[in-house]
Amino acid sequence: MSNDTDWLVGAGLALSAIAATAMLQPRGQTKVTQVPASLPRRAGPHPRASVRAARRLNRAAGLLAVSVLADSSVEHYRGSFKNKAMYTPLAVSALTLAMSAHGTADRRPWAHRLRDGSYLLAAATGLAGTGFHVYNVTKKVGGFSWQNLFYGAPLGAPMAILLSGLLGFCSERVRDTSRAQRPHVFGLPAARTIAAVTAAGLLGTSGEAGLLHFRGAFHNPFMAVPVTLPPIGAALLFNAAARDPDDDQNRAHPLTRAWMWLLAAMGFVGVGFHAYGVSRNMGGWRNWSQNILAGPPLPAPPSFTGLALAGLAALGLMREHPDA
Amino acid sequence: MSDDMSGDPQVTPRASGGRAPDVFRPGGWVPMRSYRDDETVDFVIVGTGAGGGTLACKLAEYGFSVVALDAGPYFRPLEDFASDESEQTKLYWTDDRISDGANPLQLGSNNSGKAVGGSTVHFAMVSLRFRPEWFKSRTLLGYGADWPIDWREMWSYYTEVEQALKISGPITYPWGPKRPRYPYRAHPLNAAARVLARGCEALGISWTETPLATLSAPRGLAHPCVYRGFCVAGCSTNAKQSALVTWIPRALAAGAEIRDLAMVGRIEVDDRDLVTGVHYHRNGGWHFQRARNVVVAGYAIETPRLLLNSATGRHRDGLANSSGLVGRNLMTQSNQAVWGLMDDEIRSYKGPPSLAITEHWNYADKGKDFFGGYAYMSQGPLPQLWANTLAQARGLWGARLVEEMTNYNHVAGLKIVGEMLPQERNRVTLADEVDQYGLRIPRVTYSWCDNDRRLIDHSLAFMTRALQAAGAKDIWTQDDDTCHLNGTARMGDDPRSSVVDADCRSWDIPNLWICDGSVFPTVGGVNPSLTIQAIACRTADRIRAMARRGELTGQRAERTRRAVHATSASA
Amino acid sequence: MHDRSRPPAIPNRYPAYDVLAKRNGPSWNDKTREVIAERLSVTATPQFFSASEFQLVQAIAARIVPQPSSRPPIPVAALVDRKLHADIADGYRTDGMPHHREAWRRGLGALEAEALAAFHRPFAELSEAMQDQLLQRAEAGELKAADWGDMPCEDFFKRRVLRDVVLAYYAHPTAWSEIGWGGPASPRGYVRLDFNERDPWESAEAKPGREAEAARINRHVR
Repeated sequence: MSNDTDWLVGAGLALSAIAATAMLQPRGQTKVTQVPASLPRRAGPHPRASVRAARRLNRAAGLLAVSVLADSSVEHYRGSFKNKAMYTPLAVSALTLAMSAHGTADRRPWAHRLRDGSYLLAAATGLAGTGFHVYNVTKKVGGFSWQNLFYGAPLGAPMAILLSGLLGFCSERVRDTSRAQRPHVFGLPAARTIAAVTAAGLLGTSGEAGLLHFRGAFHNPFMAVPVTLPPIGAALLFNAAARDPDDDQNRAHPLTRAWMWLLAAMGFVGVGFHAYGVSRNMGGWRNWSQNILAGPPLPAPPSFTGLALAGLAALGLMREHPDA
Repeated sequence: MSDDMSGDPQVTPRASGGRAPDVFRPGGWVPMRSYRDDETVDFVIVGTGAGGGTLACKLAEYGFSVVALDAGPYFRPLEDFASDESEQTKLYWTDDRISDGANPLQLGSNNSGKAVGGSTVHFAMVSLRFRPEWFKSRTLLGYGADWPIDWREMWSYYTEVEQALKISGPITYPWGPKRPRYPYRAHPLNAAARVLARGCEALGISWTETPLATLSAPRGLAHPCVYRGFCVAGCSTNAKQSALVTWIPRALAAGAEIRDLAMVGRIEVDDRDLVTGVHYHRNGGWHFQRARNVVVAGYAIETPRLLLNSATGRHRDGLANSSGLVGRNLMTQSNQAVWGLMDDEIRSYKGPPSLAITEHWNYADKGKDFFGGYAYMSQGPLPQLWANTLAQARGLWGARLVEEMTNYNHVAGLKIVGEMLPQERNRVTLADEVDQYGLRIPRVTYSWCDNDRRLIDHSLAFMTRALQAAGAKDIWTQDDDTCHLNGTARMGDDPRSSVVDADCRSWDIPNLWICDGSVFPTVGGVNPSLTIQAIACRTADRIRAMARRGELTGQRAERTRRAVHATSASA
Repeated sequence: MHDRSRPPAIPNRYPAYDVLAKRNGPSWNDKTREVIAERLSVTATPQFFSASEFQLVQAIAARIVPQPSSRPPIPVAALVDRKLHADIADGYRTDGMPHHREAWRRGLGALEAEALAAFHRPFAELSEAMQDQLLQRAEAGELKAADWGDMPCEDFFKRRVLRDVVLAYYAHPTAWSEIGWGGPASPRGYVRLDFNERDPWESAEAKPGREAEAARINRHVR
């Protein structure tokens, strides 16, 4: 491996950091265009509400892309970019990030062909990446064993870029159908579909955290948090998706919303815990060139934040579109 | 920097004045209870390694007063250990010893430690359980000697030690009866370990990650392993769960006193044939620590040496030696290897040296022309060790050696830990020469028996096939190495054929105990450290039980003495 | 027996790799820096051996671990001298072998006597082939001059000369660089452990025809 890849990783990390900050900046503009409070709650389909939900989904997809960009930069650097295909998630997540930023800023009520294409590319990358990672694990001696699941290419990791692509793609469908009677994805009610996809994503990501925290023998009790809170959040989201749309009382889902905010916060607190984990390795941060790679992965926890934001977008759409 | 950096821990004792070094903080200290020499403590323990360190901890936690003496220095690994093979020979017991017999043992490096924590400070951390049948190898397998302990009892003590050391091991262990999950997960395999795995899979036998006493996740102030590969030269990160960073801090917290640079030269026995304490050399002079019980835990050479050096007119052949077996039945383990070159870069210097293992030939009984068993593990020799291996075992020197050394990063090897049978002729005796303390030095006599040779030949042939199957070229065998020392004060059921009973109490002197690898009747084909620590835990439990029943001799004597005092006072 | 008299054809497998470039980085702790600094400061003035003994040890070391003239030599004889001066023993002696200091003194004297008897010249003045011949005879246990006493010459060769000289050579950073070893590693250890994996702070091996690439990478190893 050449040391020339260092700059690339540095660039990837820097871009991720900038993007993460940008994605989470509260935007004054958004507030200005917010639906007036006086608007009757059951105003029927409203294009602006759909676009707002779509933009929230863009943001969620973008945050997931940030996590993927940073995580794959670090982890594929650790893997010395042995295979040229290992650059793919960096490029694709960077593109997805750019498209998501574009989508977040875009208030037009129709899908954007380039964004659509890039989200599909991201989803395809996730699927292909999973295939590559399965191949990496099974080709090692010992095959599909705990050793290779722990230390080989993480099977669940490419799912994050797949989810980013799916959420982004859903976002474009919500925009496209914003003028229709109800926003939908392939004919399915959009909010419920997105809630279900997000819930599945939470379960998968929680499973990945569970595997790696099991590898760390849950030596710190807080390591149990990302394997307990997200599955509950997933259950709440599934429940929201399955609720009778005509039941007016239940459309606000306050507990589920609160839980999503909790998960969003957990994603950020997780980075703090992982930074503490890095500091506990020999040499601490002074030995960063080893411990960033050997310690708990800093970019991993924010993928929970990305999914939680997607969950909030779905819940918001659900509230404003009773039959979405 | 610490306030004692000027003081060399190999020259000036550190544990004194009510404090002992804090192994987790450079320059740090922890409080330590101190006893005067003329205070009669419940237990004085000679040696602080896998046997003595563990026992000191357990007995102190059970409320006994304990002073543990070690001839070696008290290191703080974080500040005292260099990443350097030469420098770290300071961990070895390099006092003068004579080695003879048909297969003289190489001593002083891998098999002998001199530090608080003993050999566990530089052991390879391989933490294996005995095969259950080995505890009754005479009855069940037809060789060696039976242990006076049931394997099921040992199984629970193994669990206790595995928890205490946070052993990193595989999720499921392929051999033997079910065991609880290892507390920490196995480490990632390095390329050398994957070579072993490839060979096993090609030959159709099981392999697994080696259960290791080094952390795969943080534990308190101890850092997880950074895969620096200097394990057998001492771990400078405290990832290695040696007695120095596990049992001994616990012992101190429970009120035990540790005395470093304290060489015990003689155990004192009174006319009632009870021991009364030990004479030890520290700070340039001889001292006498009074004790109700003495535990010898100096490993299989220093333990018999001390017992023999403590001979008196009433105990002419040394203490606890009415059976004549003190010093006999010395067992090392065969440590032969097969080496080869891979096209791939292996760089086996990364990670603990033995990350993968197969115990197939410990558990398989068919296809053997020998008694006993062996495990074999992947290897990761550092440059000095590797160069010396090429020179000594392969006879390379000159240009051939220097050239061969440039293949270092492509070397892969498999090495056994093989069972050697107990033989009375393999023994520790005293030579006429004396060491720096004026104590007679040990003479260690060792010769292989035919069974030992057959086991070695079997292993070398099998490992050669395995290494070929894994894709190695230029394969050669190293047929001269040994590791570990056990058996010079064996335990048993009969005072005529053993030195101590199942509780590690000597048959002859009821307040003299032996608690280290010396008590092994057989060694099995696994590294002994886990078993030594399990025995120590069991011994502590037995001592506590006996104390509660008032069956400790020292206790009885003390009570008698108190009664006498009371009588005379009232008179 | 293989030809020992040719110069070593050490392939330069790790061009431009210098383990000492990592000296001030996170791979070395203070204790290691202190120990290696002391080793690097060893001068060719004996503290244990006499001047003539030292010359003889230098001649022997040059045969056991021949060094290329293309780089500053490792002071092997001086490192052996310091070990004996500090009295760092092995921890055992086989029957008939004196303590390591005594063994070296007696063995050197005996070897010199053998050189004079066989070739009428001191060992250090013999041709490399003659020196090798004497060392091979020692290795084979064929030297029987009275000067050996009860010390077997093969034990002196194998357990003293070969062991001490080889360990001294591979205690030196120059030798570590030569074989592409990572060198001291604490607090920083390693991350990439599998086949053909190297951390950026490890040596790069020159594949045939791609020496320049390896050299370029190795110059950046820190």
